[in-house]
Amino acid sequence: MKISKKIVLLGHFGVGKSSLIRRFVENTFSEDYKVTIGVHILKKSVEIPEEGKDVSLIIWDLEGNDDITATRLSYLLGTNGFIYVFDVTRPSTYKNLKNDLQFIKDKHKNIPVKVVGNKNDLVTKEFLKQNNDEFGRLTNYYTSAKTGNNVEDLFNTLAIELIK
Amino acid sequence: MLQAYKEKHAKAVIQYSIIDFNGIVLESDNVLFSPIETKNIADVHPFFESLIPLLTVENETFTFSCIHLEYNNCKITSDVILQTFNSKKSPLLIIHDLTTHYNNYQTTAQVRNESVIHSQILELKNDYLKEKEEFKNAFIANFSHELRDPLTGIITFSDILEQSGLNHQQLDYLNVLKSSSSFLKDMIDDILDLSKIEVGKLDLVIDPFNLHALLDDLKLNCIVKAKQKGLTFHYNFDEKLPKIVGGDALRLRQVLTNLINNAFKFTNEGSVTFNVSLNQIRAQKASIHFEVIDTGIGIKEEDVDRIFNSFTQVNNEDSYKGAGLGLSISKYLVELTKSKITVDSTYGEGSKFSTNINFRATPSLKLPRQKPASFSNIKKDKKYNILLVEDSEITQLSVLKILASKGQFFLDIVFTPEDVISKITNFDNEFDLVLMDIKLKENSGDEIAQLIRKLPEKQHRRIPIIALTAKVFKEDLKRYKKAGINDVIKKPFNEASLLEKMAMYLK
Ligand SMILES: Nc1nc2c(ncn2[C@@H]2O[C@H](COP(=O)(O)OP(=O)(O)O)[C@@H](O)[C@H]2O)c(=O)[nH]1
Ligand SMILES: [Mg+2]
Repeated sequence: MKISKKIVLLGHFGVGKSSLIRRFVENTFSEDYKVTIGVHILKKSVEIPEEGKDVSLIIWDLEGNDDITATRLSYLLGTNGFIYVFDVTRPSTYKNLKNDLQFIKDKHKNIPVKVVGNKNDLVTKEFLKQNNDEFGRLTNYYTSAKTGNNVEDLFNTLAIELIK
Repeated sequence: MLQAYKEKHAKAVIQYSIIDFNGIVLESDNVLFSPIETKNIADVHPFFESLIPLLTVENETFTFSCIHLEYNNCKITSDVILQTFNSKKSPLLIIHDLTTHYNNYQTTAQVRNESVIHSQILELKNDYLKEKEEFKNAFIANFSHELRDPLTGIITFSDILEQSGLNHQQLDYLNVLKSSSSFLKDMIDDILDLSKIEVGKLDLVIDPFNLHALLDDLKLNCIVKAKQKGLTFHYNFDEKLPKIVGGDALRLRQVLTNLINNAFKFTNEGSVTFNVSLNQIRAQKASIHFEVIDTGIGIKEEDVDRIFNSFTQVNNEDSYKGAGLGLSISKYLVELTKSKITVDSTYGEGSKFSTNINFRATPSLKLPRQKPASFSNIKKDKKYNILLVEDSEITQLSVLKILASKGQFFLDIVFTPEDVISKITNFDNEFDLVLMDIKLKENSGDEIAQLIRKLPEKQHRRIPIIALTAKVFKEDLKRYKKAGINDVIKKPFNEASLLEKMAMYLK
């Protein structure tokens, strides 16, 4: 049977979790904001030629929450990988970044976490550099669901990590 | 009948299915999703695929709320319960359709989240605008500051030129130069004030002063102005006005001068009246009424508020130039005393500007004792040693020319802290006075003053230091005092203002 891996996206509301997934799964984007409630689950197969394998990514798009400790535990059962998304244009979405990451690592030891600063189409490289201390050091990817920048790369890299 | 209603409304909302440990559906009532029997539940929806690993966990109830599911045209938002038993008994899957309930919740969440995000974006925008505004103010302040040195050059050399035996025509030209530079100086002062006001950093400096002398001075100015413009000037100063009051004399003069100048500026025939009266003295406070009345062009009712706004000038005609900033500043200054300026005006007939200002008034108020500040009072047979700490060549040259023309000064010029200290300590004689620029390129004058005040030799420590600076706001003056600076000459200065201040400290 094909390998399937559960990936959960975490982060405040409005940071672009749903949009990143839609970009990855359907390659589309919409400026309209529809608040996610509960959880949407989508699936996409990723081919990993290096390993000669196909992985089904089962992606859980969670309702955004500004308090990570309030996330419903049942959603996190059996998670293989996390993507923590913040919005580079909204400080409130990364001001607890460090604590949130610590929280995930404490509760889910040895599960990979990718940290993503989304909406990088709205800021300059200079801005990202200036915020190195704020979030830069902790961030693995700067993405844009709008332009597609780094989205594919993010999910593919995580997929490879998960089957190794 | 009831049965019929029940059938209509008891829409099936819960589906029960039994699945095996691999996820194959063994049995289902197909109430929501159908047909699913014999299929693997993982193929119905990816959500179920992630349940597969849980099927072998024994005797557990897993509850998932608010799961969006879709299969064969059935799209619902549901709560899902997975009940496992032992290894002999197949797990039970219960799907509870709560779409209506969750749709309501969705609407609420939508409104809430949108408004939160919106307010955060606004906040960011405001931060950005504030930053820009601060930058603008700092820029204006610094830039106006930079204009002072060249302006000092123009003003002092105009003075020097005046005494160099010019013919009539040249003197006329020179007067144009002088009045232009004095106009420029006033504008720079205004701009600096305004940049301070915008960041809320303009404060009053309250000290005892002679109100009678200030009013007499203004009166004299008015008489001259009236004569120049062919207008009548009336004034009435209440006899009961206290002589010495506590307040910010400089700012009071600025406000009254501004109102008076405007009155003259906008009046081409008729009169200007300046009245000052005492409302009352109570609880050691004197409330004093000031009014300036003119028979000038007047202000339309709809424009009255606008004339106090920076950079707005109601009359765009060229003949009424330059009233923009003064009124805004006056308004702000008066507001600092918790009062306001009242305008009474009839378009085409004239205006009246009035205000009531409180001053400290106690019999014990005394003027600080000041030496007679006149250059003619200094000893004519003595030569004075002056140390000028200044790196702007224009100012160096200005001071040099002014002092040289008197023939009573030896001037040394330095601009690094090391040079200042070595000059003072290695000099055979003692310096009589240090003129200290504050904004040197590498250092700040108040820091150098502190070094001087810490020198081991008593006589060095005692040398009077006068700051040469454009920064004379309250906070600056405090800093200078703390650094041991005795007094301040404001840039741009001219011959008279430089020599007068120096004379106060020369023995
Ligand atoms: N400019 C820009 N807007 C984005 C991007 N990603 C998402 N958005 C917008 O941000 C809003 C919230 O996105 P959404 O995916 O619903 O955020 P979620 O609450 O984290 O799922 C929507 O209006 C999106 O159009 C991006 O990369 N760039
Ligand atoms: Mg979402």
